[in-house]
Amino acid sequence: MSKRQVAMVFDLNKCLGCQTCTIACKRLWTREEGMDYMWWATVNTQPGRGTPRDWEQSGGGFKDGVAQAGKLPTRQDFGDAWKFNHEEVFFEGKGQSAHLQVVGEQPEWGPNWDEDQGAGEYPNAYYFYLPRICNHCTHPACLEACPRKAIVKREEDGIVLIDEDRCRGYRFCMEACPYKKIYFNHVKKVSQKCIFCFPRVEQGVAPACARMCPGRVRFVGYKDDQNGPIWKLVEKYKVAIPLHPEFGTEPNVFYVPPVAPPRYDAEGNIDESKPRIPDEYLVSLFGPKVLDALAILKAEMAKTRAGGKSEMLDVLIAYQWKSMFGGLDRDPATIEWTKS
Amino acid sequence: MLVNFVRGAPVEWLLDPDAEPWRKVSLERVALVGTPVGLQPTPAIRAAWANKHIGAVSEVQVGAVHNGEVIAFRLDWQDGSENRELGDTTAFPDAAAVMIPVVAGAPLITMGAPNQPVNTWYWRGDSDTQGRQVLSEGIGTTRTVDQTLVRGHGIWKDGRWKVVIARPMKVTSAEKVVQLAPGEKTQFAVAVWEGSNSERGGVKAFSGSWRDLVLAPAADGGKV
Ligand code: SF4
Ligand code: SF4
Repeated sequence: MSKRQVAMVFDLNKCLGCQTCTIACKRLWTREEGMDYMWWATVNTQPGRGTPRDWEQSGGGFKDGVAQAGKLPTRQDFGDAWKFNHEEVFFEGKGQSAHLQVVGEQPEWGPNWDEDQGAGEYPNAYYFYLPRICNHCTHPACLEACPRKAIVKREEDGIVLIDEDRCRGYRFCMEACPYKKIYFNHVKKVSQKCIFCFPRVEQGVAPACARMCPGRVRFVGYKDDQNGPIWKLVEKYKVAIPLHPEFGTEPNVFYVPPVAPPRYDAEGNIDESKPRIPDEYLVSLFGPKVLDALAILKAEMAKTRAGGKSEMLDVLIAYQWKSMFGGLDRDPATIEWTKS
Repeated sequence: MLVNFVRGAPVEWLLDPDAEPWRKVSLERVALVGTPVGLQPTPAIRAAWANKHIGAVSEVQVGAVHNGEVIAFRLDWQDGSENRELGDTTAFPDAAAVMIPVVAGAPLITMGAPNQPVNTWYWRGDSDTQGRQVLSEGIGTTRTVDQTLVRGHGIWKDGRWKVVIARPMKVTSAEKVVQLAPGEKTQFAVAVWEGSNSERGGVKAFSGSWRDLVLAPAADGGKV
């Protein structure tokens, strides 16, 4: 275990599914050769098959502390990188006549293929967005699977990084990560993954996905910082819980579960007898503790509705944008960045 | 195995499995076995391979020649698929390697041991001519020391690989790699990775035990 641990909390009640986080990450980190199909930050509609396709059923991780066999997703499963007629539309003077479209083989899957489909029947259909990054796990399956000790978990902040000089592209990490958050760069022949924007964190700047999020969804900070949002939401209020805790990797990304609007009955009246998002579904994602977290959240919401105050909801609302970053709130424009 | 001396053979010939020097070399059959699943270095690898067959290639024909300066090993084996690509996340390349102990008596199955290093010369289908020289002192300790001294070349035809892996016998290196000379005796082992069976790292077929290697003297003292 590292001395300290950076972490994130994603409030699923606020995520717009706008993909600003996804694009912020893409522009910053995955634009080089061999990275075309990579999305270190993803946002998928739940219920849904996710990215890569069916990752929740891909094995890996630990069961009662014992490593489990995992599957390797294909590029297709990740959604691949579609080729577009950019040249034609942007550079050949056909901006008015040609539509931007996929050229060559037409895709049958993509990184966000089942967006907004969700589940349930009108008027009780439901869905929510699930943003994901590498969880920078406390018990990282990727690190423990690598025979070359090419993956390190940093002492000072618990960020999990791949040493590309030691990596030989064996992809045992990719097989072992139950969240399928490792990508293979077939040009550099090494595995690559979310780096929690460590060069930014080292300068006191929150990761790009968090800073760019217009929904104020993504809280950042050190887990042990009692003045920061992570400790408050995870430890104090116990309203944020990890995704698939049964995978056994002890993730350091936590989620505030979604409270859906109420259901309607056959007569069109509000029916509070059962939730719109089935409890079983949320339990299948977050384990049984999700019901406690939802109860805590609903109780605080009832409190404020009755005119009371809730420090917990104040934290979640994030009136002050910078309060979300646990002190990692330095303006990146004040730093002179160099690329080595 | 005797390493024949081929006077005056340029390195380019040694690196071409179809070239003249190899025609006179009789290849020896070496049986290969899969590495034991229990010896795989991490629990995840052991879990992933618990019910899968390790070691898709069960035998290889091996020969070697030297020209007084460079030693070249030749490995031929049956393989229905030519795997050179790394295009998809699930694709693995075919590969082969020759291992020589740096210290006599170094254990083979664990790829050396502390203070008993072994030196491995790798060829991999996706980077055909550029080999890789590795040192290890036990499982999980492999370390690339250079990617320049070892050269290779593989030709796949009609369901068969013919691969050459070569290195100068004497090299200048800051690392404790193997140094050889004509007339010397040492040992060697070979390994083959079958890409279509997802073999990589410690998941491979290998020769199980060290075999003797005798370098024929260079009649003129090693100069050609
Ligand atoms: S989410 Fe996967 S890649 Fe990230 S630290 Fe955990 S096991 Fe490793
Ligand atoms: S930027 Fe924020 S609101 Fe938009 S998809 Fe990402 S997490 Fe959700």
